[in-house]
This record gives sequence, structure tokens and C-alpha cells, in this order.
Amino acid sequence: MDQFINVTQQLLKGFGENSFIFIITLLLSLPLGFIVSMGSRSRFIPLKLVTKFFVWIIRGTPLMLQLFVVFYVPPLMSGGGFNFSRINAALIAFVINYAAYFSEIFRGGIEAIPKGQYEAGQVLGMKKSQIFFKIVLLQVIKRITAPIGNEIITLVKDTSLASVIAIPEILMNAKDFSMQGLIWPLFYSALFFLAFCGVLTLLFSFFEKKLDYYKG
Amino acid sequence: MKKLIALFMAAAMSASVLAGCGGSSSTESNSEGSTGDWSYIEEKGDFVIGITYFEPMNYLDDSGELTGFETEFATKVCEEMGVTPKFQKIDWDSKEVELNAKTIDCIWNGLTITDERKENMDISTPYMENKQVMVVKADKASEFSADKALTSNVTVVAEKKSAGEDVAKEEEYFADANYVSVDSQAKALLEVKSGTADVAIIDYVMSIGTLRDGSDYADLTVVEDMSFAPEQYGIAIRKNSTETLEKLNAAIQKLADNGELDNIADEYNLKDLLLVEKSK
Repeated sequence: MDQFINVTQQLLKGFGENSFIFIITLLLSLPLGFIVSMGSRSRFIPLKLVTKFFVWIIRGTPLMLQLFVVFYVPPLMSGGGFNFSRINAALIAFVINYAAYFSEIFRGGIEAIPKGQYEAGQVLGMKKSQIFFKIVLLQVIKRITAPIGNEIITLVKDTSLASVIAIPEILMNAKDFSMQGLIWPLFYSALFFLAFCGVLTLLFSFFEKKLDYYKG
Repeated sequence: MKKLIALFMAAAMSASVLAGCGGSSSTESNSEGSTGDWSYIEEKGDFVIGITYFEPMNYLDDSGELTGFETEFATKVCEEMGVTPKFQKIDWDSKEVELNAKTIDCIWNGLTITDERKENMDISTPYMENKQVMVVKADKASEFSADKALTSNVTVVAEKKSAGEDVAKEEEYFADANYVSVDSQAKALLEVKSGTADVAIIDYVMSIGTLRDGSDYADLTVVEDMSFAPEQYGIAIRKNSTETLEKLNAAIQKLADNGELDNIADEYNLKDLLLVEKSK
């Protein structure tokens, strides 16, 4: 029983790291993703190209590799002169990576709104910004709730990748127990993820219901 | 105005993308002189020790405190060297990168001395011996003996690129057996426990910690009187840090001479494996 409590404590401590990375990444990558999506829809070609190139790089390389680059490349280049702390490096990599994915979801959502609605807004004498915020945005939010929810649930599980730069997250702690001859903590750790994702799923279906009045 | 903002954003983005490629001008620090590394450590005042958790070397005790043979040994050595030990858990696969990036100052975690590692890092005097042993299900242990080589219906597992893998591939005894490599020693044990493999070849030191009573592997056992490929443990530091190496070796020798190293090893049942001779 003592052992069970000890394992639970260690795993919870590890899951704290996962949750921290999850929350900060979500808070920062959603707005950043929105900015990036604006960039990739820009009519100013250089900005559009640069943004597309950025999204290609980030989506085209493994997150695990990006974590390595953010944490190890600065000190390797500067001979140990500068490095981010482990947790900051992880946050930077996660935020940038998820912003790239979110930006594409936003772009898809915005572009799905029929042109006629913009034209109708113009006819009514609305300004461009008014059309976007008063007519388009809410419909976009409704359309992207499901894909965003999908991505967010992926994020929960991706946080365990942070162990490659030695952040003591839950899977790393569970693996340590297997080095001490305990196998079950590794499988037990699944419950933490399941519970967290379960709560998120409920939250999202609640949101979707709330948005139900709005038939797009 | 809008175009201006857009241009600015484009510039900022391309700058951040390219930033990764910059900064390569300061590569001279890689080949610091012989005193460079020690003065760097001395100036910081702390010695960052790269470890992973495994019993009995470095592990968390019941109250969550870091303890183990290496933990105590390293703390004593740092005391002798006049620096503060700082234990940093690392991912074992990136230990060399960590060392070169100076996010750690040494690797001290039952590191086996190999020619390949000697080429890339400076390594202390060997302080402990280790060997590879065969782990099997306890009720089948009697089926294995040195005079009867394994047949092709026996599956052997070992950690990829480990000393255990070398044994499995090179020893006559395993020549006919079916070999599978896995990504860690713990995984190798799991294979045997779950019955997907018959024999795991792992470190003797690792087997002490994992096969004790009360662990999930208590039904596994080490095949007696059969061990392979004796090897030696050393502490790895950055290449060409002669002065750090001298201080490290002197501190180890001193602890061997005054008997403290013996005492620590005794505590973890590792005394038979110690290699450092007392200087006369």
C-alpha cells in the first residue's frame, strides 16, 4: 500500500509537468496560431511565402527533433555560453509547433465561410473589421471546435515527449520505476492521461452544445 | 501602413527561422585549453552530474530523496574537489550531447568504459567492475548450463548497443539462439517476464536492483556461474579537460585510501566489485 501511494505521488508529480506544459502551450499557441493564420492568408506575397515556409518547416519535422534543437543547439553553438532552461525549451518548442497546426485549422475555418457573407456585409455598409468580428468569427469558432479539440487532446499526450530533454514528466517517472523492478506504474500512468482527456472531451461536448443555437 | 506591418512581420519571422543557423562563429570554445574546463567549473562552483535513476546506483528512496552508491560516491568526490554536486537527471541516449552542450559536467551513472567512448570523452580511472549475466524465469534456471549451448528455439534479448548485445552476438554460447534487441534493459526483463523471450542479458549491477524480493521481477533469476564480458565503470567528462580529470582521479584515490569508498560500496553490497587499489 505504501508502495502504491509512493508511486501515485511520483506519477502525479510527473503529471504536474505534463499539465503545466499543456496549459502554457494552449494559452500561448492559440493566439500565436491565429496570428500565423493571418500571415498565411495575407495578400502581401513575401509575408505569405515566409509564413507558409515556417509552417512547412514546423509541420514537416518531428516535434522530438524540435525539442532537441531548441534545447541543445544554442549551447552547442555558443560553447555552453547560453541555454534555455529545460522547461523553457520545451515550452518554446511546443508553442511554436502547436501554433503551426492551429494556424492551419484557423485558416481552413476562415476560408470555409462563403464569400457571399462578406459581400452581404459590404452591402449593409459594414467595415471589413466589423464583418470579420460580427459575422465571420463566430461561425469560424463553431466550425473549428471539433478539429481544435482533436488537436488539444493530441497535445495532452504529446507532452510526454518532453522527456527527451529530461523533463521529469509522468512517463519518465514511470520508466524509472521499471528500472527498480516495478512494471505496473508504466500502465498505471495511462489512467492519468485517460482522466485528463476524459475531462477535456466532456468540456468540448459542452462547448459544442452551447454553440448549437448557431446553425452555420 | 498595413503593408509596412506585414513587411515587419515577414522580417521578424524570417529572422527567427534563420536564428537557428546563426551564432556558429563562436566555435573556438569547443577546443578550450587543458585548464579551460576546470576553471569553467571552478568559477561556477558547482559540478553538474548527469544521472539516470537506477537502483542501486542513483535512485529515490521511500521518502523521495535521491540516494544510491553513485550519489554518495559523487557527493564525497565533489567535497574533495571543493565543488558543489548538482544532480541532473538526463535522457541516457543524449548523454554525450548534454556533456558537450555543457548542460552537465560529467556522466556518472555506471558508465562502461569503451574505446569508442575514450575517443570522444575523458574518462576517470575505472572504479568498479561489472559483468553481463543471463536472467531467466526462476523455474527454468536449471535448464541452462555452460556446457550446453543454446538452441535456435531459445529467444535472447538485450538492450540495443549495450555490452549485453555484444555478448549475444559474439559469444559462441548464443550463436544458434534467436536474438532480438530492445531499447532498454528494463524492456529486456519485461520480455522475459511476459514470456516473449527466454533469456535477457543485462548488467550484473542492474540485476541487483531489479530482481530483489518484492519487485515485479522476483520470479526471475540470474543463472549462476555464468557471466560474460567483464567491463569497467568510469566517470566521463569533456574531452581535453586534463585538469578536471587529474582532480577527479586524485579525489577517487583519496577516498579509496581512507576507506570511505569501501564503506559506501559495502552499504549497497557492491564492495566485491570495487577496482581502485589503495596506494601504498
